[in-house]
Amino acid sequence: MVQYRTQVRIIADVLSTAKDMNTEGNGVGVTTLLRKGNMSYSRMSKLLSELVGSGLLTELNGDKISKYMISEKGTQFLTVYRQFEDFAQSFGLRL
Amino acid sequence: MEMISDVLQFIGVFVSFSIAYVAYHGVRRIHSSSLLRLTAAFVFLGFGFAVEGFVGLSQVISNLPFSTMAVVAGLLFETTGYFFLAFSHALDVMMSKRMGVALLIFPVISLSGAQLVDILSTLSFYFVLYGVVETVYSYARTRKPDTLLIAVGLAMISLGTFVQWLSLLYLNVDVLLLLQIIMKEIGLLILFTPVLNFAVGRVRLDGTI
Repeated sequence: MVQYRTQVRIIADVLSTAKDMNTEGNGVGVTTLLRKGNMSYSRMSKLLSELVGSGLLTELNGDKISKYMISEKGTQFLTVYRQFEDFAQSFGLRL
Repeated sequence: MEMISDVLQFIGVFVSFSIAYVAYHGVRRIHSSSLLRLTAAFVFLGFGFAVEGFVGLSQVISNLPFSTMAVVAGLLFETTGYFFLAFSHALDVMMSKRMGVALLIFPVISLSGAQLVDILSTLSFYFVLYGVVETVYSYARTRKPDTLLIAVGLAMISLGTFVQWLSLLYLNVDVLLLLQIIMKEIGLLILFTPVLNFAVGRVRLDGTI
């Protein structure tokens, strides 16, 4: 079933990917985020700069490409998001 | 008996504002529009119960004359609250691009009474019923016990609203008045479960655990 995502849901999805896929501890590349996030490159770039600007993601500048890692603030946001997602789901609603 | 039902309205005030409080913290923390609608729904419900409670108590305690408009205002708040609850589910249906199960329940509003109170009670009944059907559908999707519990709570409220509607038709049956408020209160107390989960789970509203 096709389902639209709200902005807050997209942010949570990107942060979750940045957290879960960062197995080696050196960040996650844009390609991985794009694949998991299911959105266009331009939209992802804009979102990533917003998330870095708000301190939810940390940008790690490599030689050629930038990688992204979830920050402490981002982890806190995800925890709170999941708690309220649970709360909304109790009322049969989606965030 | 009327005094008991008026006092019980204030439990509804407490439960409604508690849910609104938690949902509002969600709005502040994660800027969710779903939680904003949930906040609006329970703020309106809380004010609705408060107005109805105060009008009832002022009548019983000091036998003060009260305006019919105050009763209508209370019911209008309550109906608006139920509307926001139903509206949240309607938006959820549109977001998931599926056909709403509750669309099968076409609202047939009684126009015979032509009284605002009758119409508002009927609308409340349909809004809550819509919420029940969508919540049950959501439970079928998520299999989350809390969601089923909320569906039961909403079903109790809709039954209470239905009895309230009946009590308008059978004015001389006092027990209907008490029955409708007890059903609504039980329903609201069930809706309090997610708020309790926040407390039991030691989740503080500033986001820390």
